[in-house]
Amino acid sequence: MKPITILIGALGGDGGGVLCDWIIAAAHGQGLGVQATQIPGVAQRTGATTYYLEVMPERGPREAVLALNPAMGEVDIALATELLEAGRMIFNGFVTPERTTLIASTHRVLSIGERAAMGDGSFDVGRLLRAVKERSKAQILFDMEQTAEESGGVINAVLLGALAGSGKLPIPDAAFEAAIREGGKAVDTNLAAFAFGRGHARGELEQAVREHRKRQAAAQGVEDLIARARSGFPAGSLDIVEEGIRRLVAYQDRGYATLYLDRLQGIDPAIVRDVARHLAVRMSFEDIIRVAQAKTSRERLERVRAEVRAKPHEPVEVTEHFKPGNEEIAALLPPWAARWLLARRPFHFSMHVRSTTVWGFARLRFLAGLRWWRPRSWRYVEEQAEIGRWLEQIRAAQALSVELAREIAETARLIKGYGDTYKRGLGNYRRISEEIIAPALAGRMPPRKAADAVANARVAALADPDGDSLNRTLAAIAA
Amino acid sequence: MLDQPQLPVAQRTNPERSFKEEVRSLRLGDGEVFRGEGILAVTKAILQSGVSYVGGYQGAPVSHLVDVLVESQDLLDELGVHLETCTNESSAAALLGASINYPMRGCVTWKSIVGTNVAADALSNLASPGVIGGALIVVGEDYGEGASVIQERTQAYALKSSVWLMDPRPSLPTIVRCTEKAFELSEATNTPVMMELRIRACHVTGEFVAKDNQAPAISRNRRLPNPAAHNYDRISHPPSTYVHEKVKVEVRQPAAERFIVEHGLNEFFPGERADLGIIVQGGITNVLVRGLDRLEVEGKVPTLVLNVTHPLVPDQIADFCKGKRAVLVVEEGAPDYLEQAIHVLLRKRDMDTRIYGKDVLPMAGEYTAEVVTDGLLKFFARAANDIDVSGPRERFEAARAGRAEAQKILGGPLPLRPPGFCVGCPERPVFSAIKLLEREVGKVHISSDIGCHSFATLAPFNLGNSILGFGMSLAAAGAVAPIMQKRTISVMGDGGFWHNGLLSGVASSMFNRGDRVLVIMQNGYTSATGAQFIPNTSGNRRDGETTSDIAATLKAMGVKWLRTIRTYNVATMLGSLREAMSSKEPGLKVIVADGECQLARQRRIRPQIAAQLKAGMRVVRTRFGVDDEVCTGDHSCIRLSGCPSLVVKPSPDPLRSDPVAHVNNGCVGCGLCGEVADAAVLCPSFYKAEIVQNATWWDRLKWRVRSKVIGALAC
Repeated sequence: MKPITILIGALGGDGGGVLCDWIIAAAHGQGLGVQATQIPGVAQRTGATTYYLEVMPERGPREAVLALNPAMGEVDIALATELLEAGRMIFNGFVTPERTTLIASTHRVLSIGERAAMGDGSFDVGRLLRAVKERSKAQILFDMEQTAEESGGVINAVLLGALAGSGKLPIPDAAFEAAIREGGKAVDTNLAAFAFGRGHARGELEQAVREHRKRQAAAQGVEDLIARARSGFPAGSLDIVEEGIRRLVAYQDRGYATLYLDRLQGIDPAIVRDVARHLAVRMSFEDIIRVAQAKTSRERLERVRAEVRAKPHEPVEVTEHFKPGNEEIAALLPPWAARWLLARRPFHFSMHVRSTTVWGFARLRFLAGLRWWRPRSWRYVEEQAEIGRWLEQIRAAQALSVELAREIAETARLIKGYGDTYKRGLGNYRRISEEIIAPALAGRMPPRKAADAVANARVAALADPDGDSLNRTLAAIAA
Repeated sequence: MLDQPQLPVAQRTNPERSFKEEVRSLRLGDGEVFRGEGILAVTKAILQSGVSYVGGYQGAPVSHLVDVLVESQDLLDELGVHLETCTNESSAAALLGASINYPMRGCVTWKSIVGTNVAADALSNLASPGVIGGALIVVGEDYGEGASVIQERTQAYALKSSVWLMDPRPSLPTIVRCTEKAFELSEATNTPVMMELRIRACHVTGEFVAKDNQAPAISRNRRLPNPAAHNYDRISHPPSTYVHEKVKVEVRQPAAERFIVEHGLNEFFPGERADLGIIVQGGITNVLVRGLDRLEVEGKVPTLVLNVTHPLVPDQIADFCKGKRAVLVVEEGAPDYLEQAIHVLLRKRDMDTRIYGKDVLPMAGEYTAEVVTDGLLKFFARAANDIDVSGPRERFEAARAGRAEAQKILGGPLPLRPPGFCVGCPERPVFSAIKLLEREVGKVHISSDIGCHSFATLAPFNLGNSILGFGMSLAAAGAVAPIMQKRTISVMGDGGFWHNGLLSGVASSMFNRGDRVLVIMQNGYTSATGAQFIPNTSGNRRDGETTSDIAATLKAMGVKWLRTIRTYNVATMLGSLREAMSSKEPGLKVIVADGECQLARQRRIRPQIAAQLKAGMRVVRTRFGVDDEVCTGDHSCIRLSGCPSLVVKPSPDPLRSDPVAHVNNGCVGCGLCGEVADAAVLCPSFYKAEIVQNATWWDRLKWRVRSKVIGALAC
């Protein structure tokens, strides 16, 4: 009689140990031999944890020696509270198409390396899903975190429910439920989460109603601009262009949105979607006015309430953290005054604004109301000039090579953030512009090579915050 | 956290952590079935053996032994067992000195190899005179997957100090029997006995039939009227030590060999093939047995299971090898002490049995299922190719090919998930401040230490140049500081401070007029091992009084430049670090970074808050958030904080491709993200939200009025 082998991959704090205890208790309840062990990691709440169990399929004299280590190709059931951890069990050869039923949550909890990346550093989910499908015998996959949230419980109970729902263990639902009751903690929510998980695994729960209402942004008052866009740009780019129009009307006014369309005129259809996306972001640059607009928008307080899970009758006090300095203030001044201020000693001051008080909100609302002044501000003038140069480069480049033009457009990704981050990004952008793009447009570098060089430099600029990679890359290109 | 009252270190307690269930199982009597983990079974077994005293220093995977006893004070009082929660392993080993002069049993525990290193001095001085009461040392052999220390074997200590080493087969009845026999063996041979349990063995679940606990004959409850008579033979001092050395090899070791055979401590599993054999460490038996099963040769090869790996019994090994062509030694880790010893003893007896071992199995690394299977396949191919294992071999190869296939699909190594600071950890802001300091003054040599703060050596902080052991960070900067233009920073936890740092670090630095910076993380517990109490915490378990205060201790030692700072205040922390680095004042500069371990704090306050809410009291819940419309997705905040609660999510903005930062519901409202954004001048995306639960009429009125006005004003 061979034991049924179970491998569990979890993250610290997911409750993998409790899940293990539930399975042991349920097996005991059925009189089945069971052994478990774990590599729990340290007391902290991050890091991957693994648990390994062997459960005898029938009552009776148990096998003398149960193993403490999982073996390749000998795992019957693999449970994972997160998709990358499912991937890890596959990567290590424990999950196999001959034998393993994989029960895993499809949500991702990004590892620190993935999160700290300057751009999108997350592991390719497509690959994970492909490995999951191809390298296991059967799969039960759904977003267990979402299910946990809907049920008010914790993910380990959902996973236990899915295990019960899989029917792969000779343990009836009632025994698992009894194990949860014996555990004695948060029994009701855990039972609910268990029931949800089991429902998912058995396909009894309707998995349809989600995320549809949000995509209906109002397009009032800009119908004519949208019509103009539809007649002038390729269909594949319209989702972005229309979003850009809506964005810029809210950011400034109709005239500004019209300027946006004018600027897109004549851009090569192959790259108009990319250019439109970056152009809208660049034109809606973050100044104090924009931040104040965002912080005082009508939906914002509701969003905050939902995010912090305040109940309908609970008041919520919100404190904003600002640290404006000479640059932020200069950004709002007329160019001559800004230049004067920037030549002085830099300074910063902390402002903690309570935006849920009348006075605090009124101050923010006042700043948000300054948008009529924006076109006269130093930052606006600077940004428009910078955008103009960027568009000129794109137009000049697309005559030589669309690829080069696309790469130039993409360099706009480097400009983001606030304070030092913004300055660093802008500095990197300008260096690439001067040291690669300008020589290329002047004919000193073949367009194909220039396109590669721009792409390499952009990736290098995003690789580390200190600029070491960019220095190396630029030096290599110059050599 | 910043604006919430914090408990002074002297009042930090951790009442929520509870081992009620475990405590109950320690009281089981004759014939009742004990169910639980391996390390708890050992705890029960030592009470069944009638110990007079227990001690130890915490560390995975053996912390539970002492933790559970701390909560079993009633039971210990009834039995008269003394419990000493030691401040390091050296003091735990010295505790066993009680059994040198008095016929009473004692047990101590620690994590090996590191703990054994610390204990080594006392251990040698214990082993030399030997004991008259059974002395057992339970070491957590922190080796292989999940281990957190350098990879070395405890076996070396057993060999050089002539201490016996048990390595029981990981099944609860065997572990319990070995524990009980260890005391007898110790008494029969006047020698302390070590028992090593690997991580999986400590956590393995199982059951055994319990016996009644034994009250010791000599104990707190049954005190002796007089001390032992003076006997110079029991003092490890010359010329006694010369005699001890001879007694160890001439008397004690032969006695141990006899005891091992007479009591059948090692196990023999018979097999059909008289010409083959396997000798295995007890702790590796399960992997081996499953490996033989996998190759479908179970029951074929006779196997000798060494539940005692030092001393080996030469006759037992020779008898086992007699008439065998080939014997495989399965011994995890380097060097191959057992294999060498077996070679020598066979050679001396002119036996020509061919020994296989590290030639078919790897010299270093954990013996996992795959490694052992691979080794067995090689052994059978070389030593017994008449046994057909072609079917299993093909399956094994197919499994490996399948893994290669899977790895191809995944297209490269998966992102690692290193441990990191918890949500709201008070140590994180210190490293955020050091990161910011480095922006100003450039890179600094950072001497790291053991403890949660060692996670700063990992992403996203990547801070730290060396780790030299627990409490060693200041000492480790001793020869670096004098050659650096900038001062060095040593980071140490309060656990490390009391364990070793006070003397090895602070005293030595003061004595040598060292000009260095020391940051002591005062969170009130040894948090990485499960929040055990330390001398500066509220109350050791008995009387609730704090024994020692770190700042007062440092002052008494003559430290002049001393600051105690709330860790969450990044700007103040940065200011103090800047000052410590640039101050004209010579000598040691100490910053005590004070902030209670957040895990312990949450355990304490959660039930309190739940009770307040239930009673209808006004409770303000604080947490932080990120405005996803304002965030531009550059993740500077994550690189400077790394809080697990600070995650990224897809940008809700269809125009932006980079994910934005997001504070998830794990947030405990420590405010570091906002603090860092402020101190580093990052961005205006962070907001603090205070949710008023059980609001008063005044709260509601204010809120209603404000909502009306704001609603009218909103964009």
